Amino acid sequence: MRSVLREYNYNWRLWNIVHNAAKICDGSDKEYREAIRFAPDFNKALDAMISLGEPGVLTLKAIDGYLEDILTAHEKGKKLALITYNFSPAILHAFDVVPMGLEQITGLYTTIWQKGIAELLDYCCEVGFTETSCSGQRVALGPILAGVGTMPDFILYSTAGICDSNANAFAFASAYLDLPSCQMNYPPTLIDERATEYHREDFKYMIAFLEEYTGKKLDVDRLKDICEEIIKQDELINELQELQRLIPNPEPGLYNLLLYSIKIFFSGIKDGTEILEAMLKIARENAAKGIAGNGHERARGLFFYIDHYCTELKYWGWLRDNGISHIGTMMTDFWQADAPYAKGREDEGYIIDTKNLDTMIDSLAAQTSRLPMVKQIRGPYDAPHMWLDDTVGVAKLMNADFLAYMGTMGCRNTWGMVKPAARDLEKLGFPTLILYGDAFDDRVESIDALINRIDEFLTVRRIRK
Amino acid sequence: MREEISETTTTLFNRYVKKWKDGGGKVVGYTCTYVPEEIIYAAGMLPFRLRGIEATSTSIGDTYYGPVICSFPKCVLQLAGEGKYKFLDGAVICNGCDSMRRLDECWRKASEDYEGILPSWFYYYGVPHKVADYSLKWFVEETKRLIDSLEAHFGVKITDDDLKKAISVYNKGRTLLKRLDGLRIMDEVPISGADALAVIIAGTAIPRDEYNKLLEELLEELEESKERITGKKRLLLGGSVNDDVSLVELIEETDAIVVADTLCFGSRSYVDLIEEDGDPLVAICKRYLTHSFCPRMFGYYKERFRFLKERAEKAKVDGVILQNIRFCDLHGSENGIFERDLEAAGIPCMRMEREYGPLVETGRIKMRIDAFLERIS
Repeated sequence: MRSVLREYNYNWRLWNIVHNAAKICDGSDKEYREAIRFAPDFNKALDAMISLGEPGVLTLKAIDGYLEDILTAHEKGKKLALITYNFSPAILHAFDVVPMGLEQITGLYTTIWQKGIAELLDYCCEVGFTETSCSGQRVALGPILAGVGTMPDFILYSTAGICDSNANAFAFASAYLDLPSCQMNYPPTLIDERATEYHREDFKYMIAFLEEYTGKKLDVDRLKDICEEIIKQDELINELQELQRLIPNPEPGLYNLLLYSIKIFFSGIKDGTEILEAMLKIARENAAKGIAGNGHERARGLFFYIDHYCTELKYWGWLRDNGISHIGTMMTDFWQADAPYAKGREDEGYIIDTKNLDTMIDSLAAQTSRLPMVKQIRGPYDAPHMWLDDTVGVAKLMNADFLAYMGTMGCRNTWGMVKPAARDLEKLGFPTLILYGDAFDDRVESIDALINRIDEFLTVRRIRK
Repeated sequence: MREEISETTTTLFNRYVKKWKDGGGKVVGYTCTYVPEEIIYAAGMLPFRLRGIEATSTSIGDTYYGPVICSFPKCVLQLAGEGKYKFLDGAVICNGCDSMRRLDECWRKASEDYEGILPSWFYYYGVPHKVADYSLKWFVEETKRLIDSLEAHFGVKITDDDLKKAISVYNKGRTLLKRLDGLRIMDEVPISGADALAVIIAGTAIPRDEYNKLLEELLEELEESKERITGKKRLLLGGSVNDDVSLVELIEETDAIVVADTLCFGSRSYVDLIEEDGDPLVAICKRYLTHSFCPRMFGYYKERFRFLKERAEKAKVDGVILQNIRFCDLHGSENGIFERDLEAAGIPCMRMEREYGPLVETGRIKMRIDAFLERIS
């Protein structure tokens, strides 16, 4: 990494940009238009978020706080945990530990930091982490490995058995930085008694790790508050997803990004609940008026893995401008038992039970084991309750006109099975596109090429109405 | 090197497998050192580790796998698609790594297009990625299921005595291979690294009782042999899966000899024995879950580094070559930290990314090895 890039703490730089961006939302429209010119790297993505109205503004402010918490954790005497997005941060709040989500921060860099991502990605390679590893971790990991990011106290990851690339990034960081780490590991099945017991025991193992490295006991009252907040959030998410079923879909595409951002940034805390309430208010209003969230709806697309998070959110803007309703990804399926897509499959979902500590631990273990990816790609894709079942279920429920796969070049797991999966989906009647871009690294395929592929697919398959 | 052992490294359907099949024996393929061979042996069948040798293209592998996948499972799938694994009566696919575990779906789906390529018994075996009391419990149950499925499909019965006998036979083979290790680390080495790898690999493709006899004879020959290799740079080879003897031959075409390894087709498959007392199933599972760790077991870097360093020191190596097949991030990344820590410990180290399969990169690899040897001279 060039020495000029090592002058400031990267988390501080990122927080500064978001902090100032969040402030400009408080001015008048004229002030906003003037001020946004001074965010040259970021103004299109920022404008896209703020144009969502209150949900976008609240999200920006909440992320501002999230980043500030990371920066100030140590001076406030709190522990900082490096976690993955496949791990619910709720339990950390019960320990008063500050979560630092690696992929979450990668997503912020790739959305906001248009000039420096390549250097961050490539720094990992400089210290031996393979260039073929997933970009989702490499962006945010670069500054930490280089010593110019905020240093966590320990590492928690929950993707062993789910995604080697993901788990490997955390194992690498732990070995390279000599930091204590705890991995959660998942068996290839989901709902049998053996799997449930494994989830429970593994969750307790993680709690024991937290107790050891924080020197604190789990705060049961605090955990209860958090669980109750999760219940509230899940109810709001259920309604938002129920509304997405309407034709036209009353929600803007970016709502999907917010939905899973809330789960991975703000699960169980009030910031997340407030954003969801604001989203729901607008969605209900649009639904009552029969308005499409994107302005018009010409096709409904289910992006059955992940989305694209770089190049000024251009992918999202293109979907919006072309009337493509984004009706979800694997990332938006959290599998609360009363979710619309869980109807008839309630045994695959989780229920939060706040009766006592044991029921809460069981509930959170069940929730964690059903997080996006953790549920779907742990076993063979065509096994019961896995990727194919879930994709078909959601595609039917949401009236998808087409399905599209997008991942990262480091995703060994899905690249190992997406071709046969796409073939099965086509056989079942769903036009299915495999995209070869990288969600976090637009050097792999330019956003324009990626958009052209979607456009061509929709044209050739005559999907647009 | 004995012709029959050599043949097993380059030919899937070797003379031993043919003889076994001609005698009415069943052959069960498996993908990884985390699948207990003892279970298949105890069922009276021949465990055969799946390999990608003989593949000259990955056209079938590329049809089902995506583009950014390790070429080892692609080559295995290629051979399966070409019908070269039709001699298998069964196969166990395990979640060794993400690329390898998706052989399950890719092979099953390819069989929809290539008739008769899927063994009649095809089993997915889930191995935990961590060591804890509950992961061992899971693994024992998972292995019981494997046994149940084998018994039901093939109409056999696996008793505790069968398992105990299997443990004893396999432990004997492992002990013999450790004796081979002892010869390799001598100052004057009676066997090249390429031949030693061939001997070890043969154990995955020959009925174990026969293999043990062959190995005993070979060890006696080697111990008595006056032919010794001296004056070469002593290297350890580590990293990704490698069953390609020609890679080691290429290294040894230079002024070097490979005297030790930490490969899963090498020492990692035999350094740990199974306890012969107590419940044999639990003993097997304990050994397979905790045996010298592959990086698929996340979070055990220190243990792996200790193993690597100890082997390097014991073999008095001049340097370490850590290779990984492209897209093998588990070994590739860990090799990066190994390099840092080995160099800090005064052991010169070279990292090398490569493709699996016919050595199309011979020139590049040779140039890098030459440069490394020059550096450590």
